[in-house]
Amino acid sequence: MSTLETLQDILVRDYGLERDRLSPDAALDTLGMDSLSLLELMFKIEDGFHVKIPGDPPSDLRTVRDVVAYIDELIADRAAKASAGSGGSEAKVGGIKM
Amino acid sequence: MTSRRVAVTGLGVVSPIGNSIEAVTRSLAEGRSGVRRLDPALCSRLRSPIGAPTAFDGAANFDPARVRLLDRVTQLALVAAGQALGDARLDLSAEQRERCGTFVGSGMGGAETTDAGYRTIYAEASDRVNPYTVLAAMTTAPASWISIEHGLLGPSLTFSTACSSSSVAIGEAARRIQSGDVDVMIAGGAEAPLTFGVLRAWEAMRTLAAEDPNDPSASCRPFSLNRSGLVLGEGAAFVVLEEWQHAVDRGAPIRAELTGYGLTSDASHITRPSIQGQARAMHAALASARLAPGKIDYINAHGSATLQNDATETSAIKEVFGERAYSIPVSSTKSTHGHLLGAAGALEFVIAVICLERHMVSPTMHLDTADPACDLDYVPGAARQAVELKAVMSNSFAFGGTNAVLIAEVPRPR
Repeated sequence: MSTLETLQDILVRDYGLERDRLSPDAALDTLGMDSLSLLELMFKIEDGFHVKIPGDPPSDLRTVRDVVAYIDELIADRAAKASAGSGGSEAKVGGIKM
Repeated sequence: MTSRRVAVTGLGVVSPIGNSIEAVTRSLAEGRSGVRRLDPALCSRLRSPIGAPTAFDGAANFDPARVRLLDRVTQLALVAAGQALGDARLDLSAEQRERCGTFVGSGMGGAETTDAGYRTIYAEASDRVNPYTVLAAMTTAPASWISIEHGLLGPSLTFSTACSSSSVAIGEAARRIQSGDVDVMIAGGAEAPLTFGVLRAWEAMRTLAAEDPNDPSASCRPFSLNRSGLVLGEGAAFVVLEEWQHAVDRGAPIRAELTGYGLTSDASHITRPSIQGQARAMHAALASARLAPGKIDYINAHGSATLQNDATETSAIKEVFGERAYSIPVSSTKSTHGHLLGAAGALEFVIAVICLERHMVSPTMHLDTADPACDLDYVPGAARQAVELKAVMSNSFAFGGTNAVLIAEVPRPR
């Protein structure tokens, strides 16, 4: 399932929004998503996408597309950290071997 | 109470003994108890795993976008207040809404939200606290949401005087109508204390009733020799109060007149009730109603089923009513709906008005052998029907010593 579809599922399930309103261009404020809703949504994104959000979300999230792009960034970060982490641990193991 | 009279034109209730006035009336007539064993997940570590829950599902009453902003206490309050406004057939679009207000009593506010927040922080050692925690947990949330939902632009206040909170809310609302500040008030109380944290805290104080081993629903035994404490309950009850002429002019159904309100402080001990404090509150209510003690036909007692309260309240009633105390039916409906803390006074005032209207006296259930210190007519075991009632009193006494007494009378032109 794409990032957009998973996000749409969350917005339908937990915010009672209709799926056909959730196009990428839909503005968050017209969906009734105020700043507190957005903070709350970040927890749901962490759970739904298995990502970790460092600190507060960026303040320039305006549309569904912006949120999707932010989630994709987080997923990419996670992947990069995972590979850096495994590289690092190999080097460490290598270090011990030496 | 003087020139401006206060009509009771609407009642609403969501409670352990029913979620409508009709359902509550039937439960009272049948002596049906809403006390039961709680969900095992909630009570595995409780000594006495009982409570008086309300059959109420927030998700069935509010859409998902809304329900996540509202603690259970506010959900209960909104539904009961909506019922009361509907019962009063009040068309708010036709009202001067600056002259309509909301007074709510609640002891513990959004207890489930508070519990969940602490679970996140301490039990899960997580920083992911719901950003709505403050807004859902604040004790003022029920009053605020009622004002918002119905566009009531007059005063919106929350009273928190422990177990007398909602009697104070109703009494103070009546005063605002009498003073001329407002014409219509939605007043009552809400409480949702059936969380593990709250139950455990009350248990730690050794005030909760032991579970009846044969019949958990009979665990709350006001005035009984073997009473062992109170049973916590949840729910909400509201009344619509209206300036008399305002109600008459719009052809509203007038269910009763709120004529008396007495408010005193024990100023003695944080938990131990005072005969004098309770008696002074009853005297003050009678004085404000300009009624002689002989005119009261039924008392809905505070009757919490704690060792201290029931004997003290009995003595206070005897102090106020003298010999006549023995011929007034006095009952504790907490025997069936439990102790709703901040919502208790409103629920019991609503019940007193139901009794007044239906010529019925509600029973004290589970009272087989009375405490010798409790020697009044507690209407044990069964409701009485076809009893002529003209004036009824509802007592609410609280930890902290705030005593509030309300009197309602049969509506009649003057």
